[in-house]
Amino acid sequence: MRVNVKGLEVLFPYDYIYPEQYRYMVELKLNLDASQHCLLEMPSGTGKTATILSLFVAYQRANPNTGKLIYCSRTVPEIEKALAELKKLLAYYDKENEKLVSFLGIGLSSRRKLCIHPEVSVSGDGATVDSNCRKLTASWVRAAAEKSSHVPLCNFYEDFERIGKQSPMPSGVYTLEDIKNFGRDHGYCPYFLARYNMAFANVIIYSYHYLLDPKISELVSKELAKESVVVFDEAHNIDNVCIESLSVDISKKTLENSLRSLSKLTEKLSRIKSQDADRLRNEYMRLLEGLKEANINRATDIHMANPVLPDQVLEEAVPGNIRQAEHFIAFLRRFVEYLKTKLDAVERIESHNPKSFLLYLRTEVYIERKPLRFCSERLGSLLRTLELANLDDFTSLGLVTMFATLVGTYDSGFSLIIEPYDDRTPTIRNPILHFSCMDASIAIKPIFDRFRSVVVTSGTLSPLSMYPKILKFKCGSMRSFPMTLSRQSILPMIVTKGDDQLAVSSKFDERADIGVIRNYGLLLIELCKVVPDGIVCFFVSYYYMESIVASWSEHGLLQQILRYKLVFIETQDRAETSLALENYQLACKNGRGAVLFSVARGKVSEGVDFHHECGRAVIMFGIPYVYTENRILRARLDYLRHEFFIEENDFLTFDAMRHAAQCVGRVLRSKTDYGIMIFADKRYSRMDKREKLPLWMQEHLKRNTNLATQDVVNASKVFLRDMAQPFTLVAKKTCQKSLAWDCDSIRRGSVADPECGALAVTRQSSRGRSIS
Amino acid sequence: MVDEEEQKEYRWETGYEKTWEAIKEDDDGFLEASVADIIQRAKRKRQAQKQGNSKLGMMRHLYVILDCSDSMSSQDLKPTRLLCTVKIMENFIEEFFDQNPISQMGIIIMHNKRAEKISDLAGNARKHIKAINNLKQTSLIGEPSLQNSLEMALRALKLLPSHASREILVVMGSLTTCDPGDINTTILNLKSEGVRCSVIGLAAEVHVCRRLANETGGLYNVILDDCHFKDLLYQQVDPPPAALTLESNLIKMGFPHQMSVEGTEEPLTMCMCHVDSTDEGSKLNTGGYYCPQCYSKYCELPVECRACGLTLVSAPHLARSYHHLFPAANYDEITYENQTLICFACQKNFSETDKQVYRCPNCTKIFCINCDIFVHDILHTCPGCATNLSTFQIAHNTTQ
Repeated sequence: MRVNVKGLEVLFPYDYIYPEQYRYMVELKLNLDASQHCLLEMPSGTGKTATILSLFVAYQRANPNTGKLIYCSRTVPEIEKALAELKKLLAYYDKENEKLVSFLGIGLSSRRKLCIHPEVSVSGDGATVDSNCRKLTASWVRAAAEKSSHVPLCNFYEDFERIGKQSPMPSGVYTLEDIKNFGRDHGYCPYFLARYNMAFANVIIYSYHYLLDPKISELVSKELAKESVVVFDEAHNIDNVCIESLSVDISKKTLENSLRSLSKLTEKLSRIKSQDADRLRNEYMRLLEGLKEANINRATDIHMANPVLPDQVLEEAVPGNIRQAEHFIAFLRRFVEYLKTKLDAVERIESHNPKSFLLYLRTEVYIERKPLRFCSERLGSLLRTLELANLDDFTSLGLVTMFATLVGTYDSGFSLIIEPYDDRTPTIRNPILHFSCMDASIAIKPIFDRFRSVVVTSGTLSPLSMYPKILKFKCGSMRSFPMTLSRQSILPMIVTKGDDQLAVSSKFDERADIGVIRNYGLLLIELCKVVPDGIVCFFVSYYYMESIVASWSEHGLLQQILRYKLVFIETQDRAETSLALENYQLACKNGRGAVLFSVARGKVSEGVDFHHECGRAVIMFGIPYVYTENRILRARLDYLRHEFFIEENDFLTFDAMRHAAQCVGRVLRSKTDYGIMIFADKRYSRMDKREKLPLWMQEHLKRNTNLATQDVVNASKVFLRDMAQPFTLVAKKTCQKSLAWDCDSIRRGSVADPECGALAVTRQSSRGRSIS
Repeated sequence: MVDEEEQKEYRWETGYEKTWEAIKEDDDGFLEASVADIIQRAKRKRQAQKQGNSKLGMMRHLYVILDCSDSMSSQDLKPTRLLCTVKIMENFIEEFFDQNPISQMGIIIMHNKRAEKISDLAGNARKHIKAINNLKQTSLIGEPSLQNSLEMALRALKLLPSHASREILVVMGSLTTCDPGDINTTILNLKSEGVRCSVIGLAAEVHVCRRLANETGGLYNVILDDCHFKDLLYQQVDPPPAALTLESNLIKMGFPHQMSVEGTEEPLTMCMCHVDSTDEGSKLNTGGYYCPQCYSKYCELPVECRACGLTLVSAPHLARSYHHLFPAANYDEITYENQTLICFACQKNFSETDKQVYRCPNCTKIFCINCDIFVHDILHTCPGCATNLSTFQIAHNTTQ
């Protein structure tokens, strides 16, 4: 159908459009017009991806000077889904005879997913594939191959370099599989083909890390045009991704590996020195000139800024004491040795900020700040000069230099904690240095600065006001779009007490109470009796799950559950978990019924969808607060309080509630789906927790905020009966007619819809304010 | 906010049915009219779903699988799920044989992970009702096994001739099934044998039941309350459209006659149906139906002759099954605007209270709601069409 969105004709590849999708488009269009960043929440299963893609393609068609759409998602299946959606859209354009002049949409993934080289592609994990690939494709390897024919090369890459680069890819949408097939047919390397063609693509779909992780974005994404639009989908955890990409953990093993690599470097260096001294001299000259070229590129906005490559580094030449390769290696060795003694000496937990650490460095081993700052860049240069291909030998050293650069660059926003042992094993000495980023805005700042519009979106972003604060960006508009449903297909409830009126809570001092544990168990048993097929339970931590399940087993509650459903448990072992998941789904499908115990923040809570029979109910036992005794978290909370004026408690609640919402949100994946959502903790009924849930859940919460077990069972029975009534095609169509709009009603609706009208007005006034 | 307070009752009240709220006094302060109205509306709804014009499986062979597991002791149907089910089932069995006189039925119960046949395929309503009534005393234990019961029913249905329609109706209270093997293979077997499986769930939608029904072309429904349960069960009374695998065969049938020779007294004989039944015993009596092929005597019809295997029916039985093939056309509901003064069938004067009247699409005669239901439920012929030869033929030609 064709939709008129504020004067822009959008081709939408479905026969009907839901009001929330239309509102989303309007909001997105206004933001694109104003070139500002925005934060949009819309429940999963409402067709967010299709909405974004169809609006953008239409927008780009109308305004040809709009850049690309960079659509970032979290996992490979999500990327595939988005690509399939884009393909559908393009097919619809074809069907409607609306020709797009050369449209290219591609997805990018790692070498491991894309490699078609017969030997490299089977070599297992990502790092090995990367390094095996580099052994065949690095520039010096290819230079060596020109001289002697014994050096093996990757034919796919060679063909791509020779021929593939000349001719652009035919327009269309290439899923990961498509691009592999294309590569196979033409004999090109799909990975490099995709990377090369990113420059010409209209829509790029890839993972967050290609944009947020400085190590990767430096390689892949730095040349993306300024006019591009970035979308972060499923972005409820984006601050954690940012933080992780800039945090470094250094253990003794890392340091030992680094030392080993350093010896290797020395060895190689002496060999080269005797053979090819010129090469080193050239490097020296280059370093003397500094990184001027990079600086020019950044100044003229060709490249995106990189948080690990700070501006000072670009402006100055590499300091003299690390310019010579031997000096640099000696310098690094000193640094690594120092860290090693530091780790060896630690008795109690030590905590520093970067400044104090630098002071120690200077007084104890005479390492200045400036050379530290250059470490990462200098190592890169050295590795290139020495023509080392198997970079995975140097990952540890890379980590250390990254740490050096970060500690030399940022005065605040980071914390340095040295722990003598792991929290879980307090008797085994295993010192670790955590250098953790506390400011999510550092990693994402270049993106907000560079691109015209950044859209942060997810099904669960509430409370919205927190994100602009912690990511430090000027947000043009924040909106949460409720879901229109033809029937009430979710039933969120807050359970505060058992049938004996004893309050249930996972509060630390109450969670071990046998009464609480029993009430939780009874709640689950009662639900097992009335809920068909699958039930998913989330606990606040692995430790809590283990203790509560042990206690249930001791008191015979687990045996009662087993009468109605099979029980599967998520563990920290990935293989075990995926086996449990597989069997869980099987049990749901063949009518035996199953319960899955899993942990909030675990793998299941983030990546697995429980649609239809695989999840008829989700129970969240307790509030998934993050472990507050963790020192890194403490440091981050302090930082947030001082820098962003976010109260400790506000942030913790925000973080806990978004995880809770994320967990229970797993149950509803499309409009035909339905499910019960239960929050079992007395604290959920408080206003400060409840109002942090996404709007679409709050809407359906209504009065169910303070229930006992029996009330839940009654409500569930009624709900499940209602939902089981036929939702036939005819009914669906009439529903869609009343709910979803066709073209005419939108034309009328856009005038009549008071919300949209009001929206435009408020937005204008806010823009007016920002100008004045 | 205030509005919302008034609209929705408190949570603790929803457990109870507020049937009185659906009933409203009419203008004169009487309740009956509105109650009757609700019932009639429900009936009409069922009526409207029927559609003619298709090949039907008239010789039905239906296995009813009843859940007798632990979950049937739940009290959400009053007094318990099982007792409620037994009561509704009794009526259903009678209605079933009334509407499908040449069909057969059998009953299997599932409890304690096992399947148990409590009555074999037979065309005798009384026997089944007795078997069902005995269930009131069974102990409800363990979990049901859907697979075992389906397999048992399938074993019996497999042997039937190809012109017979094979059906299974599952009444399932439990939300889980405890199976010895993979139920999906059983479902596939049922599908390939052309057995139509319908499921009525008493609690909530279970995926495997939905799959079973969808795969085999049956219906899957979940009840809301006992009235709805009854409605859903009565849906099964009407014969389903014939499966594609069903062959069209000529079937040999006997039309037995009562032996009466002028002037002589009929001899005292024993009937074949009670010869070996232990509880009722066989009595010597006069009268009965004699098989035209082997002269065995039976005291009631329809029945399959025990001696020669001939299906014995009477002409009215066949006629009663016949109306399923040529249903009277559904009447259109129209608002009453003085189109005519009286109902064509009962000659009742239309008054102010009749807001809707019903018009036959073939003969365009106007009827009142009572006659509409009477015509479609019992008469199965439109009086307007039948009195006029030309429209009568139209009606029959279009349906054929």
